[in-house]
Amino acid sequence: MTIDVATPPVDQHPQTAVRKSGPDRRRGKGWLIGGFLFIICLAMLSPILWTAASVTKPTNVAFLNPPVFFYHPTFQSFVDLWQTTDFYRYLINTLIIAVISTAAALIIGVPAAYGLSRFRGWTSAILLILALIFRSLPRFSIVLPMYDLSKTLGVYDTRFAMVVALVAINQPFSIWLLRNFFAEIPQELDEAALLDGCSRFQVLRRIMLPLMGPGILTAGIFMFLFAFQEYLTALILTDVNAKTVPVFIATQLGQTLPMLQQAGAAAMLLTLPVIAFAFIAQRYLVAGLNSGSVKG
Amino acid sequence: MRRREYVALVLPSVLVMFGLLVVPLYRTIEWSLQKVTYGSPGSFAGVSNYTSALTDPRFGRAVVFTVGLTVVATAILVVGGYILACMVNALRRTRPLVLGVLLISYVLPQIVGATMFSWLFDTNFGGVAEYLLHVVTGQEVHWFTSAWPNRIILVLNVVWAALPFAMLMIMAGLQGVSNDMIEAAEIDGVSRIQLHWHVIIPSIKAIVGFVALISIMDILRVFDQLIPLSPQAVQLGNESITLYIYNVAFQNGGQNLGLGSAVNVLLMVIIMIMLSPFIIGLLREARKP
Repeated sequence: MTIDVATPPVDQHPQTAVRKSGPDRRRGKGWLIGGFLFIICLAMLSPILWTAASVTKPTNVAFLNPPVFFYHPTFQSFVDLWQTTDFYRYLINTLIIAVISTAAALIIGVPAAYGLSRFRGWTSAILLILALIFRSLPRFSIVLPMYDLSKTLGVYDTRFAMVVALVAINQPFSIWLLRNFFAEIPQELDEAALLDGCSRFQVLRRIMLPLMGPGILTAGIFMFLFAFQEYLTALILTDVNAKTVPVFIATQLGQTLPMLQQAGAAAMLLTLPVIAFAFIAQRYLVAGLNSGSVKG
Repeated sequence: MRRREYVALVLPSVLVMFGLLVVPLYRTIEWSLQKVTYGSPGSFAGVSNYTSALTDPRFGRAVVFTVGLTVVATAILVVGGYILACMVNALRRTRPLVLGVLLISYVLPQIVGATMFSWLFDTNFGGVAEYLLHVVTGQEVHWFTSAWPNRIILVLNVVWAALPFAMLMIMAGLQGVSNDMIEAAEIDGVSRIQLHWHVIIPSIKAIVGFVALISIMDILRVFDQLIPLSPQAVQLGNESITLYIYNVAFQNGGQNLGLGSAVNVLLMVIIMIMLSPFIIGLLREARKP
């Protein structure tokens, strides 16, 4: 295992008498690490790879035991999923709920984070601490009362109720992420603009928002991800009309074979964009995890 | 910034937090002191919900199981995350590729990941991992119907889902370790292990602590994974605290909403206690000019 933190390679073993053995040994070590990482990656991917195999098998051999390794691939389960279930509707629900709740959380969160990053005082500290506490509450302590309330108000099983619940649950974390990004922008910029006669809101709109592009994108990605992943809230607050894909997949689990294979197909359809996402949005995910959560 | 501007900027967020989080929370606390079902006003029951939670052996088992899972999985996450972070950090050209692959399990909805995970082990679905294990060792393991094998796949799945997060956070920490210190240690001729143990790990202690804190808080609330991976959770004693709340306070019309709410409040107290050092740190920082 090496920690190759940009040390010049020659200096690494100054005491080695025979210089030649150095690079060779390091290369050997490199291969070892490479091989180990390859196995780890394979292990991390194994559930996905196996599901991909299972859903492209003909239905009669899909879940046989001992498992079938050689077969003629078919996409019939995807076709069945699309034709016999309401998967399409659940997918639309999931996307609409995730997009709207992300937008709403950002519209509320961006000004608040800006205010918190610029106004020092005990109220700012209290608000940030509250946001941290709300992020870590047991989910049912919020969602069960919401279920009760949504039944009373007649909004149970609507996308509206899901959006409201997700904004409430995820918005505190967006403040944390965004505040740290705002804190990195020097205050002198605000002051210069204010001297030039801008109002606070003009500063936010004309100067901060353009500078905050990557930060807002990062926060947006996380909000979207959390909304898209949410199972528990959707399980409680939806029934038929506003059902999301994670809930659909979980309910299919109790079914028999053709439906099970369709659940697998649904899982794969959800996984493929996620894989693309992990590669495309990697930079923002890493930046968000680094800045949003580490720094107080 | 003037106070009026600050209030205007923060107000929408505060209103949302108050209306949609504080009000439901208040409801939960109120319910925890009542005998109540959904949609009807409850009757005051004092602390009877708390006493029946604390004397319910099933709740006791749920606490022991959840805490055990949290401790084991967090330990594996911190150690594994550190080792993996060191390795990935040493990569150059292949790093984005490896990171992309490793991130997938973090980005996937947990319920979907756990469902796929269950198909690796379930013989009814041609579980390949179980099959290979059977061929190699000649033994049959009941992953879903006996307690300990089931716990093993639960730990594996929790680690699988959270390892990318631990790795990324620790990697960020590693990039902040000063090169001078590492070089100085190397000139002094320390071994690799000494270098990690005495130089690198102490300088990223704060981040390792934070990773542990987040993992503990998240695993204490574990719920999603149990649905596909432990269909017999209650019989096996593999019921998590959150699943217990779900079972008593929602399923079958939520006959025990008061009891579930009391458990919610207890879990909240535990999480607050765990967060308190972090909160005190924030308060101290805020008092500085």
